[in-house]
Amino acid sequence: MLAELINPYYLQVGCFILINIILGISVYITLSTGQLSLANAGFMGIGAYTSALLTIHFELPIIIGIIIGALVAALCGVLIGIPTLRLQGVYLAIVTLGFGEVIRVIFVNWESVTNGSVGISGIPHIGREILKTLQGFGFQPISIGLQNNQFIFLSIFILLLLITIFVIWFFRRQHQSRVGRAFAAIKLDEKAAESMGINITYYKVLAFAQGALVAGFAGAMYAHILAYISPADFAYHRAVEILIFVVFGGSEVIWGPIFGAFFLTLMPEVLRFISEYRYMIYGLIIIIMMAVRPQGLIDVPLLKALSKKGRKRGQKHGTGNHKSM
Amino acid sequence: MLIEQLINGLTLGSIYAIVALGFTLVFGVLGIINMAHGEIFMFGAFIGVMITSTLNAPLWVAFLGAIIITAIMGYLLERFALRPLRHKQGVSHLAPLISTIGVSILLENLSHHLFGAGNHPFRTSFAEISFQIGSITVYLVQIVIFVISIVLMLVLTFWLGKTRAGKALRATAENLETASLLGVDTKKTILMTVIIASAMGGIAGILVGMAFNSVTPQMGLSMGLKGLAIIILGGMGSVRGAMFGGLILGLAETFIVVYGDSGYRDAIAFLAIIIILLIRPQGLFGQKIST
Repeated sequence: MLAELINPYYLQVGCFILINIILGISVYITLSTGQLSLANAGFMGIGAYTSALLTIHFELPIIIGIIIGALVAALCGVLIGIPTLRLQGVYLAIVTLGFGEVIRVIFVNWESVTNGSVGISGIPHIGREILKTLQGFGFQPISIGLQNNQFIFLSIFILLLLITIFVIWFFRRQHQSRVGRAFAAIKLDEKAAESMGINITYYKVLAFAQGALVAGFAGAMYAHILAYISPADFAYHRAVEILIFVVFGGSEVIWGPIFGAFFLTLMPEVLRFISEYRYMIYGLIIIIMMAVRPQGLIDVPLLKALSKKGRKRGQKHGTGNHKSM
Repeated sequence: MLIEQLINGLTLGSIYAIVALGFTLVFGVLGIINMAHGEIFMFGAFIGVMITSTLNAPLWVAFLGAIIITAIMGYLLERFALRPLRHKQGVSHLAPLISTIGVSILLENLSHHLFGAGNHPFRTSFAEISFQIGSITVYLVQIVIFVISIVLMLVLTFWLGKTRAGKALRATAENLETASLLGVDTKKTILMTVIIASAMGGIAGILVGMAFNSVTPQMGLSMGLKGLAIIILGGMGSVRGAMFGGLILGLAETFIVVYGDSGYRDAIAFLAIIIILLIRPQGLFGQKIST
């Protein structure tokens, strides 16, 4: 019964949705201080390449590779962030766009390490490693009625789901903390925030580095799920694709990028015939959203309206009074 | 050899300068980074290829066609991607930037569908004319490109500094509300600026097509990124900065291909902006900015 329901293709799409949600959140964090980062595709690439190379050449465990990959991306974020974040918002957008391009050029040209534009294949696969470890303890997927293949994808999906829930939980907590309030103050008015004693450079660099860390992490996961990466995976198109999750879904609340990533990853899979025109549709969506609803589909008033409705219905059934958002 | 490379560098630099002028004009007046400029430039190049190779028309028709079409694209860009955002309450300054990113990705993929992903050669006998000075070969196209870029810069400087329309434009750049109170038709001024900047992109497109004999849908992105690097290098909104920044970048790239590793050619521009942001954040010719 369970075995028939679990289709590796659906799980694969599910994994991409989760990775894209994490990527969308990485842009959302930086944007919550009013800074637009277009380097998240580059940070994703740094995480992916670092982890892939470490696990292939030094035979480190995948988890250590992923952690180091995310940390290296965060370090690059700090190095880029410090000079640019002292300036106005547009500078960061341009410099990060350029940084992404530099990263791509390095991946293509540093052939002795990155294998050039061909890319790296044979990256240790995270699902197979999990299976191997469990088999070491005498566990067989067949004992719960699954094929090896199904179990591999199911384990990745569950792992990613847990990680995504943790990331969402963490940033929702952060949003209500001192740091989150500082971010919101900087987004509203930098000068006023500064005069209130908020160290704006520190918090901007922090937000930017957090974004880089999360993007690098998502990139490392991507590498170990696909087992193949190439410089084209982390180019300008990817940067725009990550941006549109936030633009479409909403940049004010964390549910925006989550919804955006979910909807826009699923759309080309369900509607196969539009996938050829995908980027043209993305372009149109960006233009229309900016003109009509620049804060994205999901914003604070919409959430309030939704939760009010939910509460009303809840009271009718006598189960109400749950706090939402 | 050295002089030949110098000429190549100046040619490349002049093209960069024309592209950067388009960026700087829009930024100077609207305070907007027009991310779609590179794609409009690429369309200009494709129009040139289509007119000269498919229709077999003379070169001046190609120029005229590219200028007209890119000007129309500039109009559409302003009308549908920028104007709706201008007087909206509570729109962040990033909205126009994001909107033009949308236009850029739309145009790039549109050209994939219209013209195909491959490389289009630019066939025109004009590009073959060359002459020898001593041991050096100079192509007529290189001189034309250099002259056009200088002329464009001089005309733009004169137009901005001395004419009535130029004054209106500078007033709009200074303060939109005040300019409009003083009787400047700011709507028209902004529209005109975007159209002129786009038409300059179209001219640059044809010149690149002739100089490198190759036109692809991807060229818009790389040229756009370099144009952005140049205006940071030269100073945002500075006409002189765009010109000199373009020439510096063109020469630097040509010489790194000759004496260094050609693969890293495209990375120079961005290493330069990171260094300039550390040392002189307002750019070489920019005015001091406050954070």
